[in-house]
Amino acid sequence: MLALPPVSLRGQQAQPASSAVSRYQAPVVSDTGDLKGPRQPIFFRHDIHAGQDQIPCMYCHYSASIASEPGIPSLQTCIGCHQLVGGSTPSHQAEIRKVRDAWRERKPPEWIRIHALPGFVRFPHMRHIKGLGTSLGVEANATCATCHGDVKTMPQVSLVATLKMGWCVRCHVQNKVSRDCSVCHY
Amino acid sequence: MTEPINRRRFLKVLGVSGAGAAAVSACGIGPEPTERLIPYLIQPEDQIPGLATYYATTCRECAAGCGLHVRVREGRAVKLEGNPDSPINRGRLCARGQAGIQGLYNPDRVARPMVRNAGGAFEAIDWDGALQRLSAKVAEARGKGIVFLTGAEVSTFGDLVDEWMRQVGGRRLSYEAFGFDALRAGNRLAFGTSSLPTYDFANAKYVLSFGADFLDTWLSPVEFQNGFSRAHAFDGGRPASMAKFVYVGPRMSLTGMNADEWVGVRPGTEGALALAMAQVIVSRRLAAVPADAGRLSALLSAHTPRTVAEAIGIEQNVIVRLATEFANARGGLAVAGGMAAQYANGAEIAAAVNILNYVAGSVGSLVKFGADLAVGSAGTFADVAALTADMEAGKVGLLFVHGANPAYSLPGKFQQALSKVAYKVSFSSYMDETAAGCDMILPDHHPLEQWADSRPRAGVTAFQQPVVQPVFDTRQTGDVVLRLAGRTGTFQDYLQAKYRTGRGAGFDQFWLDTLATGGVYGDAPTRAVRLGDVSNLAVAAPAAANSEQQDVVVFPHPVLHDGRGANKPWLQELPDPVSKIAWHSWVEVHPDTAKAWGLATGDFLLLKSDFGGQKFPVWITASVRPDVLAVPTGQGHTAYGRYAQDRSANAFELLGVQPNSYGGRNFLVSASATKTGEHRKIVTTEGSPRERGRGTVEVLGVARAKALHAGDHPFHHEETPEYAAEAVAWWAEQQHEKAELGDYRGEQPRWGLAIDLSKCTGCSACVTACYAENNIATVGEDLMQRGREMSWLRLERYWLTDEHGAPQGAVNSPMLCQQCGNAPCEPVCPVYAAYHTPDGLNGQVYNRCVGTRYCSNNCPYKVRYFNWYNYAEREGAYEAWPEPLSMLLNPDVTVREKGVMEKCTFCVQRIRGAQNQARLEDRNVRDGDIVTACQQSCPSDAIVFGDLNDRRSRVYQLAGNPRGYHVLAGLNTKPAITYLARVVAQDTPSHG
Repeated sequence: MLALPPVSLRGQQAQPASSAVSRYQAPVVSDTGDLKGPRQPIFFRHDIHAGQDQIPCMYCHYSASIASEPGIPSLQTCIGCHQLVGGSTPSHQAEIRKVRDAWRERKPPEWIRIHALPGFVRFPHMRHIKGLGTSLGVEANATCATCHGDVKTMPQVSLVATLKMGWCVRCHVQNKVSRDCSVCHY
Repeated sequence: MTEPINRRRFLKVLGVSGAGAAAVSACGIGPEPTERLIPYLIQPEDQIPGLATYYATTCRECAAGCGLHVRVREGRAVKLEGNPDSPINRGRLCARGQAGIQGLYNPDRVARPMVRNAGGAFEAIDWDGALQRLSAKVAEARGKGIVFLTGAEVSTFGDLVDEWMRQVGGRRLSYEAFGFDALRAGNRLAFGTSSLPTYDFANAKYVLSFGADFLDTWLSPVEFQNGFSRAHAFDGGRPASMAKFVYVGPRMSLTGMNADEWVGVRPGTEGALALAMAQVIVSRRLAAVPADAGRLSALLSAHTPRTVAEAIGIEQNVIVRLATEFANARGGLAVAGGMAAQYANGAEIAAAVNILNYVAGSVGSLVKFGADLAVGSAGTFADVAALTADMEAGKVGLLFVHGANPAYSLPGKFQQALSKVAYKVSFSSYMDETAAGCDMILPDHHPLEQWADSRPRAGVTAFQQPVVQPVFDTRQTGDVVLRLAGRTGTFQDYLQAKYRTGRGAGFDQFWLDTLATGGVYGDAPTRAVRLGDVSNLAVAAPAAANSEQQDVVVFPHPVLHDGRGANKPWLQELPDPVSKIAWHSWVEVHPDTAKAWGLATGDFLLLKSDFGGQKFPVWITASVRPDVLAVPTGQGHTAYGRYAQDRSANAFELLGVQPNSYGGRNFLVSASATKTGEHRKIVTTEGSPRERGRGTVEVLGVARAKALHAGDHPFHHEETPEYAAEAVAWWAEQQHEKAELGDYRGEQPRWGLAIDLSKCTGCSACVTACYAENNIATVGEDLMQRGREMSWLRLERYWLTDEHGAPQGAVNSPMLCQQCGNAPCEPVCPVYAAYHTPDGLNGQVYNRCVGTRYCSNNCPYKVRYFNWYNYAEREGAYEAWPEPLSMLLNPDVTVREKGVMEKCTFCVQRIRGAQNQARLEDRNVRDGDIVTACQQSCPSDAIVFGDLNDRRSRVYQLAGNPRGYHVLAGLNTKPAITYLARVVAQDTPSHG
């Protein structure tokens, strides 16, 4: 049915049972006003999910390594865990309740898009993941962090790079890949 | 120290600078508005955002039943391609098929059920309410005459309707405006069967068409064009051989244009010509004549070349020559239909052509009965005329109309009769003329939204599956009929139940396999037929019009056909392949006639027959007989949406509504022609009809073509003049150095195309495919009149003339950006938007373009197109994609806005897509991985794309073909497109 390239099958490595490295603990956020980035309809914390719980990026953003679109996870992915995981603090519980409400009312949340390129750019995600490396375990999420920053420590996602063309071209020159206009603009 | 002012800084200071950019202002400059990401609730299993899913279904734009692969992105159908598994079209698709997607997302679709209220206007109603009312009406109308009118519908849906009609005591009638009544009657006369055979063009060694437009609208055009290309193209399959094609008819249609010889006989005399040729073959024993041909002796001896030559209007020796060529080819195929079937003696003409095939031995080998084409089972015109009479007499109490628009093709008469029917229901997806006269509209799903099947020919069952969720609140008519018949379940259940019988446990696998291939494909055995008693065949032509009147031929427009294509802007904007006129109708007048009447192209002529009158603007052309006027159908709608309504004139108004002797309709009428004194500028993309030795098209005689060897250069090829040699060398050196820098170093492909003019018929499927793939805007009639059309690929048609200057055929040349190696457009762009890519393309970066238009000025091929207006602006004056038409936009291609230049990019999105896929799979791109949209759609396989640097690629072989040349070679542009010269059979004197 779908011809999946090898990279997507190798992507997710399980963590060994006894890890020598101490697990990252996400901080308690008491004042969200100081956080960078737009306020999202549900206060989804990447530092808990990707940092503390070590969920690989590709668990949710599944299509990034095979398609040009990064793939925002469906609500089914969220409810997969959160039908059971209710949250350990009242504020966590409030946010998770929003997820369950959305599922029950069949109204997915409208996330504010942070990383957006203009309509005249074609950005193929899978080429960049293929080119920058395929080890996408949580310990080495360097590939995604190249452009998106250290998301596993972000309570609220914000832009860390300008995403302007100069920034893209500098990386292309450093890595000695094509600077041809028509690989992105068509 | 201050920086010197350079060009870039200058422009930056002038324009709006980045920091502190203004809020979104009226001119649209500023930061992007906030986007929202809305995830799926439940991820569909087979959809990955960014990757396309392909579904197999069937095209229902005509009765041929070509298979489709629909490219679906995120739940929207964005492109239709042919299904390679279907034996009918083998992966190709015509322009009408490509435009099917504009029928799906058409802004004038009926969005929900409507019912006529007390005031006479249509108002919306819910489905349950509508069906309740309709059930009551059905019960009321029992015994009062219930009729269900469909298009050609040999399918499970047709069977269901038959069943239901039996249940309620009604009847079903199918109607096609261009039904092949004459051909069926001719087959019955000659062979005793009124079914339609299939024709094996691929194995024909000589093709002789008596008005049969097998490349435009006759029976199964894509299939026949593909077969014809194999037989007729110079290198098509058999090395250096070419079947000669002769076209007999009063005007050159798209099919006639591709002939090696045009025999313009007097209208109605085609049958006499066929019999005279048969007489020559039999009397001189030029072929192995079948044993029972002795029965024909009386008939044939009355039609010798000597007796018929004068009536036909061509010389005897020509008839003898044609007959000899036909027989000696040992595989001659004669076909009749189209215009030769449009006369009062159409059946006799078809029978005469059957006799010609019979004596030449083609029946059973090239003419295969047993195929039973679906379009041959539609009702005849006599049936629909009888229905109209019954309606007029009040004998029909309840009328259902599905997939037919008789109020348009029988204007006036049917509409009047419709008002006498007590209750009428339309299932049309659009508010066409018939629906506008009905009392209730229950819009059907579009063919792309429904489960269905059809049997276009024996042995082939073509399946349809929904490729998208229904766009509007429509319901499949099959479901409605099941409800009214009091049955449970949907039409999908009914359809599956039909195929479940006899399959038991294997059904599920069968169903999945069939949906993947698009249908059940098999061959029907050829049925032997016997020659009937034709001794009394009377092929005499009807009397010519008296001196006050003219013979007017009404012919089907190749793209708009019987009017159904008129609500699709791609089809309206597509220039007619013969006249290159778009957006309106015309009347074809020979130059001698025009001179006698003092007419110029664009003057209006009022044509009035006994049945009606309409005025059409004149198009002066030598491709029609001097004593004949020709008018296309398709325009002149009084309803049917914004693109079709109130546009030009309806040629069906000129035609009568009485059936003729064989139950068909006469499409040749006598009409008076008067100048009205009005004039309009016609909308045409034609520059010059003659090539005048400019080097745009090259033609070779077949003898010369056969004598060519590899390495021959029969055509002018570019050479650098001495004064420019140094400059050109320096420029090439610069390009080379640039190509060696860093990331450009290494082997790069050089993308190129090869276009074989011997295969191109001018059908324009490639043009519509390009519009669909590349988000090209349609500009409308006014802008097209000013030359603002955006077609990246256009077809240029140049007449080939004989020594008297009469046209013998035409050469069609697809003209698109040549991706020149030495491009005139690149050095003149001030902002480096037009530049040369390392892989050989002439790149166009839309966001850099500031709209100087110097590049278009410099282009010698004039293949660069400028966005003069904002065609993408919502509610704008020139909006090309009003909602929901914007859903068919290809997400892989930028939608350009005002002020940006655009042109063909060799489908760079497909090139990059294939390169991305290859990279993911750790391999190189292979030849055949990348197929441009035009190449994919072309029924003749005339276009080949590939890497010119790859010596094993198809395009490399073709580029080295001695027939190859570059357009305007003397300009030294070094284009990446090699055209292969058209080859014509020589020694073709003119006639008629």
